[in-house]
Amino acid sequence: MDADLHDEIRFHFEKLVEKHMSSGMTREEARRRAGVVFGGEEQMRQNCRDARGSKLAETALQDLRYALRAMRNHPGFFAVAILTLALGIGASTAVFSVVNAILLKPSPYPNAGRLEMLWRKGPIAVIPGIEEFPWSGREFKILTQTSTAFQHLAAFKKDTFNLTGSGEPMLLEGVRASGGFFASLGVQPTLGRTFTADDDQPGHDHVAVLSHRLWLTRFGADTSIAGKSIALNGTAYTVIGVMPASFVFPNQEGIPPFLDLPQETELWIPLALPPNPPGPSDMGVIAEPRAANAALVQQDFANFERRMGQQFPGYKGWTTFAVPFSRQLVADVRSPLRLLLGAVSVVLLIACANVAGLVLNRSLGRRRELTLRGALGAGRGRLIRQLMTETMLLAMAGGALGVALGEAALSLVRRFGPESIPHLRDAGLDVRVLAYAIGTTFIAAVISGLAPSLAATRMNMVEALKEGTQRAGGSATAPRMRNALLIAQMAMALVLVVAAGLLVRTFWSMLKTDAGFEAARVVTFELPLPLPKYADTARMAQLYEQVLLTLRSTAGVQSAGIVSNVPMAGAPDSTVIRIPEHPTPSGADAPYANYSFISPGYFATVGTPILRGRDFSAADTLTSMPVTMINATMARTYFPGEDPIGKQVGVGMTRIPTRTIIAIVADIKHGSLREEPAPEMFVPYTQNEIKIWPSMQAMQFAVRSKGDLAAIGDSVRQAVYAVDPELPVAKFAPLATLVDNSMTADRFSMLLVGAFGVLALMLASIGMYGVISYSVLQRTPEIGIRIALGAQRREIFAMVLTQAVRLAAAGIIVGLAAAFATTRLMMRFLYGVRPTDPITFAGVALLLLAAGLLACYLPARKAMSVDPLTALRYE
Amino acid sequence: MSERHIDLPQGTLDLLILRTLALGPQHGWAISERVQQISSDVLRIQQGSLYPALHRLERRGWIAPKWGTSDNNRRAKYYELTRSGKKQLKAETESWQKLTSAVAQILESA
Repeated sequence: MDADLHDEIRFHFEKLVEKHMSSGMTREEARRRAGVVFGGEEQMRQNCRDARGSKLAETALQDLRYALRAMRNHPGFFAVAILTLALGIGASTAVFSVVNAILLKPSPYPNAGRLEMLWRKGPIAVIPGIEEFPWSGREFKILTQTSTAFQHLAAFKKDTFNLTGSGEPMLLEGVRASGGFFASLGVQPTLGRTFTADDDQPGHDHVAVLSHRLWLTRFGADTSIAGKSIALNGTAYTVIGVMPASFVFPNQEGIPPFLDLPQETELWIPLALPPNPPGPSDMGVIAEPRAANAALVQQDFANFERRMGQQFPGYKGWTTFAVPFSRQLVADVRSPLRLLLGAVSVVLLIACANVAGLVLNRSLGRRRELTLRGALGAGRGRLIRQLMTETMLLAMAGGALGVALGEAALSLVRRFGPESIPHLRDAGLDVRVLAYAIGTTFIAAVISGLAPSLAATRMNMVEALKEGTQRAGGSATAPRMRNALLIAQMAMALVLVVAAGLLVRTFWSMLKTDAGFEAARVVTFELPLPLPKYADTARMAQLYEQVLLTLRSTAGVQSAGIVSNVPMAGAPDSTVIRIPEHPTPSGADAPYANYSFISPGYFATVGTPILRGRDFSAADTLTSMPVTMINATMARTYFPGEDPIGKQVGVGMTRIPTRTIIAIVADIKHGSLREEPAPEMFVPYTQNEIKIWPSMQAMQFAVRSKGDLAAIGDSVRQAVYAVDPELPVAKFAPLATLVDNSMTADRFSMLLVGAFGVLALMLASIGMYGVISYSVLQRTPEIGIRIALGAQRREIFAMVLTQAVRLAAAGIIVGLAAAFATTRLMMRFLYGVRPTDPITFAGVALLLLAAGLLACYLPARKAMSVDPLTALRYE
Repeated sequence: MSERHIDLPQGTLDLLILRTLALGPQHGWAISERVQQISSDVLRIQQGSLYPALHRLERRGWIAPKWGTSDNNRRAKYYELTRSGKKQLKAETESWQKLTSAVAQILESA
């Protein structure tokens, strides 16, 4: 462009010379005359440039050159600033890519956008806050008969299958699903076919669809598997298809606790409901509406409920509702992610404030240069633009480094993050994450560059040039802004560290909480019984008793017991109960309780204290008096102010006789250490009057060892195989591991927020260090005078410290107020600690003060050792 | 020679350039020469204002540049009137005529 302009003018010049020459001048003369006319060529060129508006691009290039030169000349400043921004941008990019993977990535199920999960809702919530209740087969059957609004409706429930025949018996967790299951999800198998309505008929249902993993691990990726026969629970099933690796539905992800689903579904078998199916509420339902019309769906639910009411009056008060499929599957992890995103944004802000402080200091150091350039005619906008170019360059370098740091952090998260968070392993860089990182970088540049540029360029030129010595520290705005930035950093760091502190306290309370059992030296496993061989509860009880007896006589075993669900292995069955002494009006407020089967000696094995009364014994059988033990919560809830022992309680069905309460035991936590215990009643497994009770088919064992746990693993398995070599020993794990697993999500948030807190504290300390050391540098002549006039060095030290304490205190006060106002938002992550816990607040305030003082130790020492002679020479 | 020249009134340079280019594409030199010729040497364009004016008109989209070769085979930048330049020329011509006739009326009647 410049060259073109040159050519254009040169052309004109030569034409002019020619013209002069044609009128008789010599070449020399002509050139001279033309030169006079073109005297202001440079000026003209500048005018042309201005006329074209080309200023911006060119000056930007110029600014960039300046910035690069500055970077080479002040590597220390730029290194610190870039690293600070990289930490902030890196942390937030990493957290964003987790959010991206979990919340924003599309689901692997093509229909997920339209699908809904349907739930029942009882008249009262069994666990407060959890309304989703599963379906019974009967309800689902009636729904399919009455519904018109759904194109596909499918029910599914967990089932376990003992795979025998080739190799060791293997317990598979699978799902029984109705015919519309695969059609509604819209997923194609990689091999063979999926089942349809034709397979979903009693008698035609002996077909199986395998998961990709099962097909790989157990069947060696046999491509001709379709059509082959396998033995499940002793019955022959034909394999008809294999699903792709991405197809993992359903598993427990995001599913509320009342619907028990496999951790990982290994095979799918048709549900094949009979015409009037009995059985408990243990099914999930997915549905694809014909049209996106909520009114039609509501109409459908109303019809269904009316029919339910006509046929089964006992279902009064139950309603139906739908949750979008995509929201259901991530519901559980949503809010911890928000917490993390909030925490990391605070870190980023602190980093920006920190860099803003650095940039401000640097631009004040260049005050004379800026003033001079201003005096020579550079506009304020031009100066601001130059400073901003520098910050932008800084931020870009920080952003690039940050993305690299973020990716490194992510690889750690992918490696060590909890398995229980869906899609966490998919977190990584993609276009969206990069766009976020670039956006963050840009915002960081504006935040950390604009304020200091404005402050540094607001100056009275005459004043500044006149007293342009070391002492002229800058305009009145600059120190105020520098202090404000530092106070903001301290305050934000305090909020973050308080949040981290509250999470640590939560974790501590969880560890300290009385869970109702002692995990040490206890190992647990599940023994699911193959159905045809152990067809009824009497046969099952017999087998369990045999295994128990064998276990108890095994060397190294102190005691053993069985239970429907060992602690931390999921929610037990729950049921409506009746208490003859306290009849409740039918319907509305029917009392509920968890209902577990246990063996004598179970409580002693897991260390649950029996508060009053006696344990079950071998004498409690089907022919003796029906007995039960209740937990303390149940005693308190349903027998307030009375002695429950000797009273009667029974399940809702009146044809089953009530039981006599013989003992009260301590509350046991089932799902998580932070849960509030629910009423629970325990029944001897030998007194099960119902012929087929699902949880009896897969009881769980607890074994307490005399010494080291590791030593008894094998002998426990041997004891089981001694009774029946075909039995699969499943979920073998120390109880302590189960407790540990139940806390992974809490530990994950605590560690991450804690790491952000440490980062924030470090950044704020660096900020404090920067401000104080700059101020000491500025005040060196003053300090020199003071020392010359006889001030003690100790007093100088104290003077610097006082300045730091004042700043830190301001930051702490603002931070405490902010924390007081915001920690309420993290209520649901806390347990056993109030959001305004005074100990945490006070501790963190002290910690921050200490960090602030530590950060200004070096500058204070430097101030103390100022040599008055050298200092005064600056004057 | 300078007595015969008068300086251009404010704002008329653009009009003259546009009018000159209405005859066909020209380079800067030719534009200044032509203005001088047609006005019988009365009007003279200062080089110092011609080129900034050309670049300004180009930026507004009224004229478009094109590199070509001049009569004796030298690289020269030609400008030609664009469609919106023609409109602009028409509008400016009209307002100029209104102005001059109004000024003339005042001068005559006074």
